[in-house]
Parts: sequence; C-alpha cells; structure tokens
Amino acid sequence: MPLQGKTAIITGTNRGIGLAALEVFAANGASVYAHARKETPEFLSLADGLSGRHGTDILPLCFDLTDYEAMKLKMKEIVSSKRPIDILVNNAGAVAESASFLMTPTGKMKSVFEVNFFAQMALTQYVARMMTRRRSGSIINVSSTAALDGDPAQLEYIASKAAVIGATKKLAIELGDYNIRVNAIAPGLVDTDMASAMKEGLKSRTIEGVIMRRMARPEEIAGAMLFLASDMSSYVTGQTIRVDGGMR
Amino acid sequence: MIAITNLEKYKNCFIEAFALSEADVESLKYQGIQEWDSVGHMALMALLEDNFEIMLDTDDIIDFASFEKGVEILLKYEVVIR
Repeated sequence: MPLQGKTAIITGTNRGIGLAALEVFAANGASVYAHARKETPEFLSLADGLSGRHGTDILPLCFDLTDYEAMKLKMKEIVSSKRPIDILVNNAGAVAESASFLMTPTGKMKSVFEVNFFAQMALTQYVARMMTRRRSGSIINVSSTAALDGDPAQLEYIASKAAVIGATKKLAIELGDYNIRVNAIAPGLVDTDMASAMKEGLKSRTIEGVIMRRMARPEEIAGAMLFLASDMSSYVTGQTIRVDGGMR
Repeated sequence: MIAITNLEKYKNCFIEAFALSEADVESLKYQGIQEWDSVGHMALMALLEDNFEIMLDTDDIIDFASFEKGVEILLKYEVVIR
C-alpha cells in the first residue's frame, strides 16, 4: 500500500473532500491525525470505525484552526508523541458569503483569508519544522480552479485560494532544501456541501462548461491527494494540479 | 552515571548543529560563521527542542541571534542554562 507506515495530518476531515481523503489515506495504509473543528460523538465514532476497518490509527485532532494557542498545544502534543509526520493536507477552508466585491466589507475578506490562508500557513510552519528534522515530507494544499480562472466564487475566496498557489510555489523552493515536497490541488466543482450552497443556475452553467459534464466526487479529489502524498510523485513539487473534469 | 548539566546540553546542541569544537560556541552569533545560516539555524532549533523537550515560538526562533540571546530565550521555557 502506497502510504503504509506513513503518518498524515489532514485538516477538515468531518465532511466533503477532507472526509474522502481521510478514508482514502486510511485505506492505503496511512495513520492519520484527523482534524475537525469540534470534537463530536459522531466524529469520534467515525474515526474509531475507520481505524477498525483499515487497521490504522485514526487520531482525532480537534481544534479551531484560527485559535493559534490551541493549534500550538496540539502540535506540541504531536511532537511529544514522537510520531513523525510524513504528510500534511491543508484541506479545511471557508467559503465567502455570496456578494459582489463592491458589497463586501474588508472585515469579511480578512475572515476568509484567516481560515484559507493564514491559519494554514501557521499550521504548515509547525509541521514543516517537524519534517525538516527528518529531511522528508509531502505537503498538499487545497486551492481551487476558481483561483486560476477567476470564477465562479466570491473575490475573497478566489484571492485566498490564489494566495495558496503562491505559497505552494515559494514553500516548494524553500523546503526543497529539506527534501520536503509542496504541491497544490485545484479542484473544480465538487459534489460537497459547498456545491449544494451554490445557486442552481450558476451550478448548472458551470457543469455545462465541464468536459465530463458532471461534478467531481470527493474521492476523485482524494485520489489526486494520494498521488501527491505517496512516493509515486517523488519528483513532483511546486505544482498546482487541476482536478476539474476538463473545465473550459 | 554523571548527570549532564543544561549548559553542557546547550553547548552540545551548537557543537552538533554546526560541527564545532566546544571552545568556539560561547561567542557564536547568527550568520557569524558559515555553518550558522538559515538551514543551520533550523537544525539548531530542532536540537534545542528535542534536548529540552520544548516547542519554540516562531518569534523566539527569529530572535535567537546568538549563544547568549538563546540563554535568555530558553529561560522563558523554564530552561535555566548553567
């Protein structure tokens, strides 16, 4: 199995793409620190079930990504556990409320950036420091085709996901000295809660522009994450890979 | 077994990170020698974290500009170098 013996941290694993990644990584042999904002009985039961089904450790890691003190404490616990981290998937993200740029207060833009960019960079800093010790690792950031195409989404979402692409390139250069690979995935329209919240007209127009004429299933995005996490992509770094069914 | 002091542990981190002899370490400053560049700096921080079982804040990693300054910073983590 491609991730046998490896340990990953995946953020936002309680639903959507993060949940699919958790399942795919566990099925492929990885132990996973499964991040979610809140520790609920349902989430703990999900982690327990996956752990039993795949014979790997699924360790709930519950904290609000924008609570930097909580993040620091959790990272300290991981360091103390002496379990090395091989993979980080920065998946958790926030969507913006539907509004035009001219009707968006800067405070709302900042709050989307806080989750989609700054919190992820803070977490990456901690995890990259762990990875530099072993001179090995793979970091996968989740961007969006909207960041590359400028649509469909609100400005602050698009801009924050574009920041992730810039950071991916710079991190790949800086962390390359430590044999840490850094890549991003840019999913197109994915069948998640985020897509459900889209206006029907916009959703159908977007699907019409996709060669495969459908939304992605979350596990199809997770498949690309598996590739980037494993040694199958050992010569891939600094890239943003579109997984969009052929968006035009 | 002879217990190693925090000062010895602290010096050993520099010696290991930069492959130096003990005589050199107390006057060291960031970028004062070729080995203490940004890559060497992170190696030193990792050794300090492992040896003293602490997690340094990013601000402290940035401020850690010399052997002497490091003594002051580690005190914040209740590590007394002597």
